Amino acid sequence: MDQITTSIAPATRAAPKPATTGSTGEGTSSVTKRLSNELMTLMMSASPGISAFPRSDSNLFDWVGTIEGPAGTIYSGLKWKISIHFPPNYPYAPPVIKYDTPCYHPNVDINSGAICLDILQDKWSAVYSVQTILLSLQSLLGEPNNASPLNPDAANLWAKPDEFKTQIMKFYRPIAE
Amino acid sequence: MATPQLYQQVALQWSKSFLVLNRDEPPISGLLSFSQAWILVKEVLRPRDLTEATQRGTINLTDLTIAADIITKCNMLHVLQDDFMDAVRQHLHLITRDIEQLMGQYDVSSDVQHIAKLVARLSEWHTAWSPMQQFGSSMANAYNLAFQTHVYSILPSSFTQGFKSLVTLTFNLAVDHDGSEWLFTLFPKPERPSARADSALWNAFQQLSLIERYESLISTICYEYVEGHILETCAGRWDEPMLNAIREWMANKIVPWMLMPFARGAKTSDDAKSMLQGIGSRLDFHVCKTLADLRTKEIFDIIIDYPDSTNALKDLKECLARVDQRSQLVQTLRKANKRRLLHPGADTKDILTQYVSIIRCLRMVDPPGVLLFKVADPIRQYLRSRPDTIRCIVASLVGDGESGDSLVDENEPIQPLQPLQAEDYSDPNWEPEPIDAGPDFRTSKPSDVISTLVSIYDSKELFVKELQVLLAQRLLTIKDGNYDRERRNIEILKIRFGEAALQVCEVMLKDMTDSRRIDQHIQSKNASVLHPTIISKQFWPTLQSTMFAMPGQFRDLQESYSKEFTAFKPDKKLAWLPHLGTVTLDIELDDRTVSASVTPLEAGFIELFTTFDTWTVTELLAQVGNVDRTMALKAISTWVDLGVIKESGSDEYTLLNIAEANDGEIKSRAPQAPAVEDLPPVVTLQEQQAEQMKVFWKFIEGMLTNLGQLSLDRIHGMLKFAPGYDRSIEQLAGFMEAARREGLVTMRDGMWRLNK
Repeated sequence: MDQITTSIAPATRAAPKPATTGSTGEGTSSVTKRLSNELMTLMMSASPGISAFPRSDSNLFDWVGTIEGPAGTIYSGLKWKISIHFPPNYPYAPPVIKYDTPCYHPNVDINSGAICLDILQDKWSAVYSVQTILLSLQSLLGEPNNASPLNPDAANLWAKPDEFKTQIMKFYRPIAE
Repeated sequence: MATPQLYQQVALQWSKSFLVLNRDEPPISGLLSFSQAWILVKEVLRPRDLTEATQRGTINLTDLTIAADIITKCNMLHVLQDDFMDAVRQHLHLITRDIEQLMGQYDVSSDVQHIAKLVARLSEWHTAWSPMQQFGSSMANAYNLAFQTHVYSILPSSFTQGFKSLVTLTFNLAVDHDGSEWLFTLFPKPERPSARADSALWNAFQQLSLIERYESLISTICYEYVEGHILETCAGRWDEPMLNAIREWMANKIVPWMLMPFARGAKTSDDAKSMLQGIGSRLDFHVCKTLADLRTKEIFDIIIDYPDSTNALKDLKECLARVDQRSQLVQTLRKANKRRLLHPGADTKDILTQYVSIIRCLRMVDPPGVLLFKVADPIRQYLRSRPDTIRCIVASLVGDGESGDSLVDENEPIQPLQPLQAEDYSDPNWEPEPIDAGPDFRTSKPSDVISTLVSIYDSKELFVKELQVLLAQRLLTIKDGNYDRERRNIEILKIRFGEAALQVCEVMLKDMTDSRRIDQHIQSKNASVLHPTIISKQFWPTLQSTMFAMPGQFRDLQESYSKEFTAFKPDKKLAWLPHLGTVTLDIELDDRTVSASVTPLEAGFIELFTTFDTWTVTELLAQVGNVDRTMALKAISTWVDLGVIKESGSDEYTLLNIAEANDGEIKSRAPQAPAVEDLPPVVTLQEQQAEQMKVFWKFIEGMLTNLGQLSLDRIHGMLKFAPGYDRSIEQLAGFMEAARREGLVTMRDGMWRLNK
């Protein structure tokens, strides 16, 4: 039955209502299981431009991700590395995510890589998953929230695509293979 | 210029010689008698030409003895000997002439008769010139030496060949007494019947010292003869013990023959025995070696013939104990296996059968199992590379009666699989490993065949998985509800694999009986014509799912049944697998009723014809959902064959409410046996694995995308995140290599990365 519930409950679709799960499975083993399932779902889904994988086989709480700029946006064709760190009480607390390669973006701190996204802070819900977060981050690239900028310069420059693009490319660092 | 001293000296010598020759006889009668004796002896010893008319006259032996005595007394024997030897040497050309003539004839005709004639002639010459015994042994020795030296120096090399044939000829003479008559005209049979027919010939050989000179050749002839006999009598005859028969034959036939060349001087039978001992044991060794060689060459076919060839194997064992040919046996068998067994053309089942026979045969030849270990290794490796090996072994485990002989011996007691045991040194009967065991040789107790087969693979889990697939297939084909046979199989297998491993199979069996119980319950609540088999998804191998939905009344049946089931077992839900099962139905048409037992898809189609009379294939497909077009066409053709519908246009079928006139013709087509579903489409282990590999690939892709380049080790380690990953690193390496060939990844310095 367990399998059925996990496969039926679409981890990909963020249900707006608060999570009803969590009555069982406190402790790391259930978190590990959840993360394993999320990894499986992420691997088997074919979402273009987003991907993530644990950094090493010994620690399932520390992942590396890749985000490609969505087509049709100013970020199109570029790629960034992010790091994802899951807290021990995941999914009741959001993972800590930051850009590892510099991303010139109104909601991203150009130095620390910190991201300002509501679902990663107060709007977090246990029904979100790695995949939904990655998709959110990807769409954030094309649609920044200029009301609460972490990078005011970028927020100010957003209206001028040419200059903005220059700034992006100034900071952009291709992912070393 | 004779000086007085010289003259004096000559006179002294003269008188001395005179005194010796005259032997104090008065006055010169001694000198006269010596002179007579010398003349007589010279005439007697003169080497004559055999073709000459004048032969040595009859010699008065007394005269000769007296004459010889006189010469000896006069100290003139050595002078006589020198004189005689000179004469012999001068006449040796006579012998040369004969040798050349006869050898010339032999060279032209290769007829062994000429060799025999030559031997006879040489013997005659030798006798004719031989000095009488009165002249002492030193003269005889000198004569023999000179004669033989000369003869051997001029015999051409082809003589050896001729001599060989001549000796070979004697094998049959010795026993059968019916040899070529010509030989006996040259070498007459002895008078005494007890003597051997060819003793005259051997005497001649002896006289000419041919036996000494050609001793090794004679042994070779003997070896070859024995070898020929063995090859002739034993080749291809594996059903009776041959070694003892050969040894008997040796005692009766070869040993009497050997008496002539090898035990000529023997006076008593004990003497002969001790003289023959050396050559005899060498010959016995040769017999064993020849037989071992022969059997080694035939070993592959002997194994095929097992158990009819048991006796040949026993012979081989005995021979191998005497000669050390074990490594040859291993090499030959390995080569034969590679050439004849381990190739793509051989059926896996045949390979397994032969492997089992090899196990049995080599255990017989070599109980400690060293030979087997060395031979089995390539076979096991090869079997491991075959995808259907496990299936074959499992099928034979379950004892598919219909597939003929099973690998398992019925009489063998069923025993648990035996893990390889570490050596128990506290065992008082412990024995060290045989000396030719390799370093990686593992002592395997004479365990049963199944244990050996299962040990081809590192884990028995694979077998259990395959067993589940096989069991699923078999359970689903059973229609009469009699699962005794399967239950018995599972019980037997439990003994082998242990209870725990077969728990899943147990659940599968239980599902079958539970299904009937549940069905009875539901029937009692709400009678239905539907009798499903309810299986637990978790415990059954993945069944191929074709997602089609039964139309019309079938769906109603399913739904009502599902409802009852949910009421009975609220926590469970039925998921229908409509492509499995059979439907027995009556079709009531305007003029007739057709009864048929068909597959669900066929039933579904004909159900659709109750709504409309004409359908196209595409429409039918749209109604039932996801079905392969070929399967659909097959289902439709069943009804066409039964004369229920007909093809009314391209891709269009119409119901025949009234049978067509030329119905007979259709009927004459033998109504197909209700399509015997080959085997329920259980996803085979192989397909499951392929499916799994796809999942693993996604993971590999994911990790390489995010982590850049990775070594094989790390990929292997990371794949533990993938569910059910149980491959070895070698398997992974093979898989990555395949991916590289497809251009999905690249590899440099041991690091893998995605190909951009």
